[in-house]
Amino acid sequence: MSSGSLDKAGAGSSEPVPAVVFRNITKTFGAVTACDGVDLAIQRGRIHGILGENGAGKSTLMKMLIGLVLPDQGSIEVDGTVRQIRSPQAAASIGIGMVHQHFSLVEPLTVWENVALGESGKLDPAAVRNRIGDVADRYGLAIEPDARVGDLTAGLRQRVEIIKCLRRDPNIVIFDEPTSVLTPEESVQLFASLRQVVAAEDRAVVLVSHKLDEVLHATDEITIMRHGRVVDHLDAGSADAPTLARGMVGREVSLRSERAALGVLDAADISEHTSSSVASDEPPVLQIQNATAKGLGGVTLLNDFSLDLRAGEIVGVAGVEGNGQRELGDLLSSLLSLHSGSVLLDGTRVPDGKSGAMARAGIGVIPEDRHDSGIVLDMTLAENLVLVDQSSVSRRGMIDGSALKDLAESMIDEFDIQCSGPDAPMWSLSGGNQQRVVLARELSQSPKVLVAAQPTRGLDVGAIEYMSQRIGAAAAAGVAVLLISSELEEILDLSHRIVVMHSGRVVGEMPRSDADLETLGLLMGGVVA
Amino acid sequence: MTAGSLNQRSRVGEWLLFYTLSVIGALVLSAILVEATGGDWRPVVSALLDGSLRRPGRWGETLGTAAPMLLVAIGTIISSKAGLINIGQEGQLFVGAAFATYFGFLIGGPGPINVVFILIFGAIGGALWAGVAALLKYWRGVPEVLSTLLLVSVGGQVVAYGLSKTWILLAPLADRGNRNQVSTQLAKNNRLPRPEIFGNEVPFAVLIGVILAVIVSLALSRTVWGFKLRMLGRNPRAAQRSGVAQTRYGAGALMLSGGFAGLAGAAMLAGGGFAFGNYQLVPGFATNIGWTGLLVALVAREKALVAIPVAFVFAGLRTGSSFVGATGVEGRITDVIQGLLVLALLIPPAVMFIRDRKRAEALATDRV
Amino acid sequence: MSGFLQAIGDILSSESTYINGALFAAFLAFAATGEWVAERAGTLNISVEGMLLSGAFTSAVGYDITESVAIALVLGMVGGLIVAVVQAEMSHRLTADQFVVGLTLNILVFGLAGFLDNELEPSTKLAERWAIPLLSDLPLVGRALFDQRWPFYTLYPLIVFTWWLVFRTRWGLELRSVGENPQSADVSGIDVNKRRRQSIYYAGATSGLGGAFLVFGQVGLFEDSIVGGRGFIAIAAVIFGGWTLRGTIAGCVIFAGALSFRLSIQGLGYEVNSELLQSLPFLVTLIGMAIFAHRVRAPTALAQPFVRGLK
Repeated sequence: MSSGSLDKAGAGSSEPVPAVVFRNITKTFGAVTACDGVDLAIQRGRIHGILGENGAGKSTLMKMLIGLVLPDQGSIEVDGTVRQIRSPQAAASIGIGMVHQHFSLVEPLTVWENVALGESGKLDPAAVRNRIGDVADRYGLAIEPDARVGDLTAGLRQRVEIIKCLRRDPNIVIFDEPTSVLTPEESVQLFASLRQVVAAEDRAVVLVSHKLDEVLHATDEITIMRHGRVVDHLDAGSADAPTLARGMVGREVSLRSERAALGVLDAADISEHTSSSVASDEPPVLQIQNATAKGLGGVTLLNDFSLDLRAGEIVGVAGVEGNGQRELGDLLSSLLSLHSGSVLLDGTRVPDGKSGAMARAGIGVIPEDRHDSGIVLDMTLAENLVLVDQSSVSRRGMIDGSALKDLAESMIDEFDIQCSGPDAPMWSLSGGNQQRVVLARELSQSPKVLVAAQPTRGLDVGAIEYMSQRIGAAAAAGVAVLLISSELEEILDLSHRIVVMHSGRVVGEMPRSDADLETLGLLMGGVVA
Repeated sequence: MTAGSLNQRSRVGEWLLFYTLSVIGALVLSAILVEATGGDWRPVVSALLDGSLRRPGRWGETLGTAAPMLLVAIGTIISSKAGLINIGQEGQLFVGAAFATYFGFLIGGPGPINVVFILIFGAIGGALWAGVAALLKYWRGVPEVLSTLLLVSVGGQVVAYGLSKTWILLAPLADRGNRNQVSTQLAKNNRLPRPEIFGNEVPFAVLIGVILAVIVSLALSRTVWGFKLRMLGRNPRAAQRSGVAQTRYGAGALMLSGGFAGLAGAAMLAGGGFAFGNYQLVPGFATNIGWTGLLVALVAREKALVAIPVAFVFAGLRTGSSFVGATGVEGRITDVIQGLLVLALLIPPAVMFIRDRKRAEALATDRV
Repeated sequence: MSGFLQAIGDILSSESTYINGALFAAFLAFAATGEWVAERAGTLNISVEGMLLSGAFTSAVGYDITESVAIALVLGMVGGLIVAVVQAEMSHRLTADQFVVGLTLNILVFGLAGFLDNELEPSTKLAERWAIPLLSDLPLVGRALFDQRWPFYTLYPLIVFTWWLVFRTRWGLELRSVGENPQSADVSGIDVNKRRRQSIYYAGATSGLGGAFLVFGQVGLFEDSIVGGRGFIAIAAVIFGGWTLRGTIAGCVIFAGALSFRLSIQGLGYEVNSELLQSLPFLVTLIGMAIFAHRVRAPTALAQPFVRGLK
């Protein structure tokens, strides 16, 4: 067998035809180059990890494989044949399936309906149910076909997502950031399933992730991407964390916050921590007392939730998404009314659900979804900076255009916001810069409390560092910070005190110095220690 | 020349091209319709121009017709900015006119002051009628698109009831001749002036409309109130967090919108002349001014200043249509032209929107 | 008070109440069934009024040309479809605001129908009455449901077919997913806006049929005021029914009851304030919505346009 024809990064001379080969793939979106001449081969029978920070291009690359995006240049070969993949259905027909990070499920429908979604041909519920049973047995992913997806936990929903992907018997399975919604234990289970998928049937499995640690331990070979290019390819057995980290970020990774961003905290990091200078007998600035909130159909969102927060302290609320964190953020944004319980700021009750009350009381929020309640896409950057309080740029009810412009320009400077100017429409800014606008606005109000909900989601390492730094600085300046995050590393990096949330209530609390991964993991999974 | 300004120029050019093509398309379709039903489009165009502009006194009439349309449009723009869909202007106008009639006669002060009262009570009437829809929305969750519409029919019946009783709106037997449901005619000194300009009677309401358009345009773009309203319309959740109470600002915007429609009704009553019932409240008083005003707002894409010329064009179609019948073509063709024009004018922004967003969403991709 | 109760009693025991009620309910149901499908796909289609009127008109013209009621009904569906095509293409391919388009279409169709009616003056007649043996002898409702002019009966299979379409076919599954979570549907490989357009075509076809039914099954002639704002009552029925098919039909029956009540009360010789009576159906609709609007759950993506890449 000649060695020349398949001599691309990662493909050895005596190996069989790779399942997928990317040749010189380039894709740009406007001014942003997402993928730049990417060469990559994925072999069967292996778990191939694609590692890179947010913005590295790995997600776009996979979208091309699944037919959601077309490359500008270059070609994709599947099992040796060049293919034009124009839709998810086309991808499925040549044996490519993807388990999506944000799930492709429709909540009001049942499991079997969701699994059947996207196929073609007559709808046959019995056949779909059988298939589900088959897949469940083979891979150990038991699920009730007639359950309503909306009633399932995140872990179970992912199971449905996996079954949906596997029911079409794909040869190539892509897992896109699969552990972001799982407890540590569920992650372990997931990787065991992955092994099964690969080993049993000689499939190719791709694991796309920004979490270094995960990729290191769960994969067979690793490709590192940075800024749209492949920078390294190595065998997982011979790789180590510092090498990977260097590859991902392009320089030595020395700061603990950077390691946290990459998802790899070592033992030293865990034992070392920022100690809080806040005495524990100081009166709390924010008190949430026995907050209970209910949603449609009587489902409990917050369940007797109580929390105290002191000035200068960073309290990290750890927990897997879907356990009330969003509702907690909404409560503190005046977007949720309580069934019972109260919120107090400096001892005074702040009415819940009353428009603007929380903000006026001095609670700043960086919401987990800025498009939802953090920014107004159709307004300008300058206008977004004064959403909550226009008094500094208005006189007698009229907005002072030049004062607004000045304010915007100084914020753009101070927070290093990349944009075309104060009048740039918000939708023209990148995600990271939109987040900076939110940060700028909230901090400029001199809040007493700052709620940061999933603040670094979707950001690259540099941006993550910036955010972490700002949050730390706010605390040092005396702001009481509530950090809500499903990324344990972030919690461990920044918090003085950790609280674990599950099913809408606090199930565990400890000072940072007492934190250990195992206990936290158990608590997050709902196991009471 | 920077890349930025070159971009600007080509964009304005694109817009003009799209709009022109669309309008021509609509007009061509209308001409085809006329021909297909045995008519000839040239006399129709001529009649339209005669009726709206060319013949003596007509452009004044057109302006006078445009005025209430403009007022309705301004109100609609306010509620649209707040994210609300008010399609009940026809009813709010009628109820406003009824209020104006009732309270105008009830208060009966000295002439010019009474006119002011008539206008104010018209606005109040329209606002209250829209208020019913606001109440249903914010208390019971009824979508305002349906409630405002259903209230048009209900409003019509309520006023008809009023017009059947002398103690409400109906004129005493002696004054109303053979007609069954009319109100007393407004006294001469209770009417809005209709100054003569170049041989045309131009109702005062025109000036009121233009001034209000300017004021509202400024208010929406420069005041804190306008800012909050726009926030509510674009992102109600961000608005809720920022202290813009949905109920207060939303209901306020809806009622303000009804108020403008009611004001239009009062202006028609007090200043309309023969085109609008001859200073009397009659059944069917609104004569589709409410609907047309709504269309004006939609075509003007929520810009109060743009609504001024748009209202004039739509008014021109209306005043012109009364001359079309003489050409042998059914006068209703202008309704069709109007509808086609609106549809045609909806296409360019829709197309441009997709293009703009596709360009920009590329920049905003979070996960690359 | 006793006079009032007596009146109610008279009305409820009169067969004509049920017959009229069935006619009005059927008319509403033709439109509401289609609109239900369209709203389950996440669209809010207010051009129903225009679709009904268009169907009524084209069916009248169709009969004028062919003298066949059956062909006229089919042409009525085509009439509704034409309006649907404009609504669908402008709102779910070109992203024009669906309310604005719907509203404009209503006005446009009204003008067009009126204009062409004056020019063409199509002549029509009522369709034959078919009585179904046995069933039509049931007390009170027998004649209402089983002794009508034959276009009425097309409603029964239509409702069953619609239910089957939405709940038993792949198309229906995709339709429902598109109305609840278009992003997920998109990622699963479904063309969201295509399904939405198709749902509007369906609404156009059924509403067109409804308009034709109005002409050939109830009224017997065409005039431009024949729909008279009742298309919006059909939309209200869908919301009132909580976006279930059963609820929608129930809504149609209740609102039709108000329409029928209006006729019956006058027919039975009672003196009631005529303005109140005229506005009764709309008032009932408003009150019905006021009671039920809070309790129902809309399809999650209702009235939210979908453009890939935008949240």
